[in-house]
Amino acid sequence: MNKILTVLAAALVYGAATTAGAAAANRVTVTGEIIDTWCYVTEIMYGQGTAHHQCAVWCAVGGIPVSVLGDDGKVNVVLRVEDDDTSVANPRLLTVQSHRVTVDGDLYERDGVNYLIVTAVADDQGIVNLTHEEYGIQPFGD
Amino acid sequence: MARWKSAIWGLAAALVVVAGPASAAEEWGIEFEEKARFEAKVVDILCELSGDCPDNCGAGKRQLGLLKDDGTLILPAKNQDIFAGAANDLLPFCGRRIVADGLLIRNPKATLFVLQYKRLAPDGDWARANGFIRDWAAADGAARDSKRAKNWFRHDDRIKATLEKDGVYGIPGLTPAE
Repeated sequence: MNKILTVLAAALVYGAATTAGAAAANRVTVTGEIIDTWCYVTEIMYGQGTAHHQCAVWCAVGGIPVSVLGDDGKVNVVLRVEDDDTSVANPRLLTVQSHRVTVDGDLYERDGVNYLIVTAVADDQGIVNLTHEEYGIQPFGD
Repeated sequence: MARWKSAIWGLAAALVVVAGPASAAEEWGIEFEEKARFEAKVVDILCELSGDCPDNCGAGKRQLGLLKDDGTLILPAKNQDIFAGAANDLLPFCGRRIVADGLLIRNPKATLFVLQYKRLAPDGDWARANGFIRDWAAADGAARDSKRAKNWFRHDDRIKATLEKDGVYGIPGLTPAE
C-alpha cells in the first residue's frame, strides 16, 4: 500500500513539474493591424498606421516583437507565422508592417502578454489606416 | 581638485549602485514603468509555450524570454539601443540564469521589460544591454561607436530596400508633401 501511495505521489509531482508554467492555447481568429509592439504599448509616439510605418519597419528589423493589434484592442505578440518560426527581424513580417490582416492561430495568455502562433493568414488588406494625414511621420517627421 | 573628488565619488556611487542588490536601471518616463532587477533563466518563448524547441533557443531567430523561479515569464521587448530589441543580448545566455536589470512596464495592454543591464547569475560581470548595435556594426564593418552605427536604422540595407519599395507610409506612390 505504501509503495502504491509513493508511486502515485511521485506521478503527481512529476505531472505538476512538467506542466508548471505551461498554458493551454486557445484557437482564435484575429482581425487587426500589424504593429510595432514597443511604440504602441508605451505610447512614446503615435504608433499606428501610415504615420508610424517607417518606424515600425525600423523596429521590426531591430528585433522588437511584432504584434497584431486586434479590433478588440488586444495586443497579440507574433511568435510564428505558418511554417516560419522567425520572430526576430522576420523578412516576411517586415513587408506587412501596418497592414490590416485576418489571421487564424493559437493564442497563449501568459503573465500579461498574449502570444500568437499564426497558423494561417486568411486575409491581407494592405495598409488602410491612413494616420499620416493627422500625425505626419512618427518620429522625427522624416 | 574638488572636481576630481566629485567625479571619483560619482563613479564610486555608480559602481555601488551597479554592484548592489538595488536596480541600477535608468528611468525612461514611460507610464507604468518600474525599476526591476531579478534573476531568471533565458528561454525561447515559443519553446516555453508550445514545446517546439530547436537547439540554442532558435539561434537568434526567436524572441527570448526571462523565466523566473516562480514561473513568471517576462517578455524583454527592448534593450538600450535605439529601435532595437533584446534578443542579441540574451542569446549568449540561452538556457542559463542571468540577473536582469531594467524597467518592467506593467501596461494593461501588455507587460514588457526593458533590458538595460545583464550579467550571468549569480555574480558575473555587469554589461550594458546594447548588443544589437554591437552586432549590427560588426556585420556592417562600422565602428561600434560611430555615427553610422548609432544611426543604424538609416543605413540598414533591409530597411532601405523596404522603404524604397513601399515608401515611408508603406503605400507605394504615397509620399510626404514637399
